[in-house]
Amino acid sequence: MTRWLTWTLSLLTGVVVLGSALLLLLESLPAWRHSGLGFLTGTRWFFRASEFGAAPMVYGTLVVAVLALGLAAPLAFGAALFTAEVLRGRARLAVKGTIELLAGIPSVVYGLLGVLLLRDWIYRLLSPFDPLSGDTLLTGGVLLAVMILPTVTTLADDSLAGVPAGQRRAARGLGLTRAEVAATVVVPQAAPGLVAALLLGLGRALGETIAVFLVVGRRDNQWPEWLLSPKPIAEAGQTLTTKLGGSEVWIAWGDPLHWGAIVGLALLLLSLVVGLTVTGLRLAPPGGRDA
Amino acid sequence: MRRLIDHGFTLLTGMAALAACGLLVGIAAVILERGLPALSWEFVSRAADGFGGGGVVYQIAGTVLLLLTALGVAAPTAIAVALLATVYLDRGRSRRRLTLALYALNGVPSIVFGIVGLAVFVKGLGWGKSWLAGGLVLALMILPTLTVALAERIRAVPRSYRTAASGLGLSRSAVVWSVLLPQSLGGLVSGTLLGLARAAGETAPILFTAAVFAGATLPAGVKESPILALPYHIFVLAQDSFDPAAGAALWGSATVLLALVLSLSIAALPTRLRTHEEARHG
Repeated sequence: MTRWLTWTLSLLTGVVVLGSALLLLLESLPAWRHSGLGFLTGTRWFFRASEFGAAPMVYGTLVVAVLALGLAAPLAFGAALFTAEVLRGRARLAVKGTIELLAGIPSVVYGLLGVLLLRDWIYRLLSPFDPLSGDTLLTGGVLLAVMILPTVTTLADDSLAGVPAGQRRAARGLGLTRAEVAATVVVPQAAPGLVAALLLGLGRALGETIAVFLVVGRRDNQWPEWLLSPKPIAEAGQTLTTKLGGSEVWIAWGDPLHWGAIVGLALLLLSLVVGLTVTGLRLAPPGGRDA
Repeated sequence: MRRLIDHGFTLLTGMAALAACGLLVGIAAVILERGLPALSWEFVSRAADGFGGGGVVYQIAGTVLLLLTALGVAAPTAIAVALLATVYLDRGRSRRRLTLALYALNGVPSIVFGIVGLAVFVKGLGWGKSWLAGGLVLALMILPTLTVALAERIRAVPRSYRTAASGLGLSRSAVVWSVLLPQSLGGLVSGTLLGLARAAGETAPILFTAAVFAGATLPAGVKESPILALPYHIFVLAQDSFDPAAGAALWGSATVLLALVLSLSIAALPTRLRTHEEARHG
């Protein structure tokens, strides 16, 4: 009976999950049929003219995510080195626990802080360039950096602390200082785990919706003149998630092509994030090699 | 020189850790400073009234209803999937695949759940916005958290307990119900608290499936039965933050939500950190 229940419920869950993925694939078909690969490379999205190009949103998503990672990674790795290499026992757990509480703050609260504080700070920071408002891709990136900081820190700490203590003792016994042990013994061994921490943090940044929605400006069709041009970063933009969280989703329902394009964006986002997550997990399996 | 570098290392990393902890303190301070003055018995016990006036009692009720629904669906399912991963699937390979699938599901962006919920429940089944649609979507979202926490604890039950129970002539399902599940209850509880903390604060999954800003109290049925919810309330007010009347209600709601979420995650913290350390050194 228990066995039967276990299998039934588990299979049901599997069917729901796979069914949802299949649903996204099927419902997005009209958009792929209409635009082909142009759906990915097109730089114009005008749904009234049946033009669906996702590239500006992919660009916006990558810009905020890379900014977030660039800002959060040094701080996160520093904090992780401190908790794993310097602190011991209860002190380590206390600091780690505090940082993990940051991860528990709801994204709408981060969004609120972004609206009321960060937006003004960024506006003042950018004032030499005469910005239109404080709602920019940069604002989204900075806010995301704060949000992924605990994720990257705690995963990096896990992988650093996973290096056997005996190796540290041996290296210290050879006369190496704590910094030298960290640089020559611990970090090289923990490297795959550190990369995984970055990838999982990136995955979280790519998928975050509500906080970015409130501060990014949500301006469609922002495409840089040349790819690494810094100008759009200081302007309002749109990401995959903010498009999916906007009211255009309600308009899209009922028009299979427009809805297909929206679902296509969801599918794109899903494949980006799940791809990163699975790569990260392959590098550093949760709970050690045999989990 | 080498000692100098070593001190520099400690100082720099220590400052990074301090900055990270400082962020939490700073954020909490900003919210409490503005939110606490807005809090009163009136605020948590009265219905909202227009844009930003009155209280948030139905927002709290809606959020609690969503959490209970998600819990009711996710907890039994998590027990089943965790048992499958630890007891009923024998081969290591398929176990690893199941674990990978759970972590992948955990990584799915919450807005994608919202879009799927919209397509299936709101439009597909014609429910319109409904508390049940939101609860089901949240259940799927927190399922991996509950499952992984429970499975970790089931794995940590000493092998000898199982052998002893089988030696006494207990069937496999009797071993599950009288040994494995009671021994790993702590994992289910801490996983549930964490999952609920996440579900309570999520806006994206309920944006299209369950929440409205005004005009709902307690649902009477399933179809066309939207609810009010704290995170959605904050989300809408934050988009109109220039209205000073909305300000007090905004910070007050944020404080209530933060108190709810942080007390759930703090309650889960001790068990979780302990399990983590035991798993490493055990």
